[in-house]
Amino acid sequence: MTTTTQPENELDQSPEKTTGNGILGDIWTNLLRWNLKKLREPFVLVFALVEPLIFLVLFSQVFGQLAGQAVPGGDYVAYLVPAIVILVALITAAGSGTGFVQDIETGMFEKTLVSPMSRTAVFSGKVLSDILLIVVPTLIMLGLGYVAGAPVTTGLLGVVGILGVALVFSVWFMAFSNILGVVTGSTRVTGIVTNLVQLPLLFASTAFVPMDALPGWLQVVSSVNPTTYGVNAARAIMLSGWDWGVIVPSLVVLGALDIVLGGMAVYVLNRASSAAVQ
Amino acid sequence: MGTPMQSHDRTTENDHTRALAIEATNLGLTYSNGTEAVTDISLEIPTGEVFGFLGANGAGKTTTIKMLTTLLQPTTGQITVNGYDALTESNAVRESIGYMAQETSIDPALTVREDLRFACRAYGVPPAERGTRIDDLLDLVGLSAKADDRAGTLSGGQKKRLDAAMTLVHQPPIVFLDEPTTGLDPAARTRLWEYFRAINRQGTTIFLTTQYLEEADALCSDLAVILDGEIVASGSPTDLKSQVGGDVLEITLADPSDTAVEHAQAAIEASEVIAPDEIETVQPTEDGLSVTSTRARQIGTDLLVGLSEAGVTITGFNIRSPTLDDVFLSLTGESVDDAGDEAVRSTDHHIETRQ
Repeated sequence: MTTTTQPENELDQSPEKTTGNGILGDIWTNLLRWNLKKLREPFVLVFALVEPLIFLVLFSQVFGQLAGQAVPGGDYVAYLVPAIVILVALITAAGSGTGFVQDIETGMFEKTLVSPMSRTAVFSGKVLSDILLIVVPTLIMLGLGYVAGAPVTTGLLGVVGILGVALVFSVWFMAFSNILGVVTGSTRVTGIVTNLVQLPLLFASTAFVPMDALPGWLQVVSSVNPTTYGVNAARAIMLSGWDWGVIVPSLVVLGALDIVLGGMAVYVLNRASSAAVQ
Repeated sequence: MGTPMQSHDRTTENDHTRALAIEATNLGLTYSNGTEAVTDISLEIPTGEVFGFLGANGAGKTTTIKMLTTLLQPTTGQITVNGYDALTESNAVRESIGYMAQETSIDPALTVREDLRFACRAYGVPPAERGTRIDDLLDLVGLSAKADDRAGTLSGGQKKRLDAAMTLVHQPPIVFLDEPTTGLDPAARTRLWEYFRAINRQGTTIFLTTQYLEEADALCSDLAVILDGEIVASGSPTDLKSQVGGDVLEITLADPSDTAVEHAQAAIEASEVIAPDEIETVQPTEDGLSVTSTRARQIGTDLLVGLSEAGVTITGFNIRSPTLDDVFLSLTGESVDDAGDEAVRSTDHHIETRQ
């Protein structure tokens, strides 16, 4: 090709060459848009805030009498608070993929793909905006626990720690939900599949009852369930202190899952435009 | 019938200083189900041109534009846009182009200004320039009064104009427009045409697909006609019209039934006023038939008299210059609307099936 070798044409050809924003700038661009979109749906925001309260009341009332004896210390609310933090993270992550489905429907998805923005940034900006939606409900939940006589034993640093666990826990499932959204292009399919996966993730884990209260086969499932890792780490920080023997392996497992599924999500975004060719 | 190569080679030979904005060689795209959407397309489009890609639904227009804009990877062939290779330097291509998809693409939850601000950020328009850039674009597309309205509340035409403004925020040297005016009312269409002419006057190369012959005629300096994934004709609108082979005599019959039209056709072929080889085509139309001939203006009256003597009742006639519609008809054997009805777009990705 000799088309680029004539400098006098270069000026005519590109009246303005855009300068790259770098990946951080691109993440910011996407984060801003998704946050703006969330602010335009106040109902969703309010629901996200009320949700943990509903869960805490329901689960403590329904299971409290039965499971109360099975949990260490007998304080079921204290046992439940970290589980609901993880539950909120799980539910928020499940809904994450519908954002890209909406984008596919409005054409913004293609507009984003045809722009020079980094695909990793497109995904990260979206995920960061959903992560923000986990932070506030988590703080509300921990505050409620405090009021109900179940404080975080590790104090304020522990609150930050639990938040960190919830975020690390949420990313892999967000990635899963986003992959579903981009691949199927359907809110309905994404909703059905994430809901279906959500139930075993939640109940075949240590979220509501201790491991030894589960039947044998469920103990096996629970021991490989990412929710168990998230709940155990959050619960350790909440109830027993900085038990690194529980926290570190959990974060390693969840972090690895995040990297694998996050990588898959970016890969899917990268080839989304050529999906028709397969 | 000229190939696209020939027509463009001529242009570049005459003017060596004109660089090519878009160059595509032997593009082919086969979908996973085996459908060959595009078989062998080559294009050389000089900088500053308004190039029209004309064809019916399903002919391969959108597939081609998506390959040129890096949204689809061609199965075969090479693409250079603005001097960058679309495969290996796709980000450089993306920075230097604007692409407006067939379906209006805006974020309805944001305001008009927020949508434009997002586009500015996405294309790295420097923060200091964004304000004026956005104001100028709002002015250009006539949406200044709507700047703080939610984009979702705009009318169809206004949304399309916002989409066009979002496409132009980074002042790209090349703009790709996929059926930019499909579904718009005539006033909105004329208005968009004016914007496109305005940015072209400022030096922007425009690649546009359309199924409206009128649009191609109004905007494009050069055209390629695509049929079943292949370019079947190319050249300027005037070149293409001259390929039709003369003026068109349209005859309206009292009885436009098949047998009556066949009778009239036979009468024309047997007629002494014109030799059979001087007639380019005789084609049935909705209410009669049309005769295309370089001598249509000279022999028109005699031919009509001859038909009348042969017992054909004529209720109207008209002699006109050929239009792109005639070009399409002569190339495909059917009008652009009919071709569109038959097309099945089974291979399109779900992205295109949104409302």
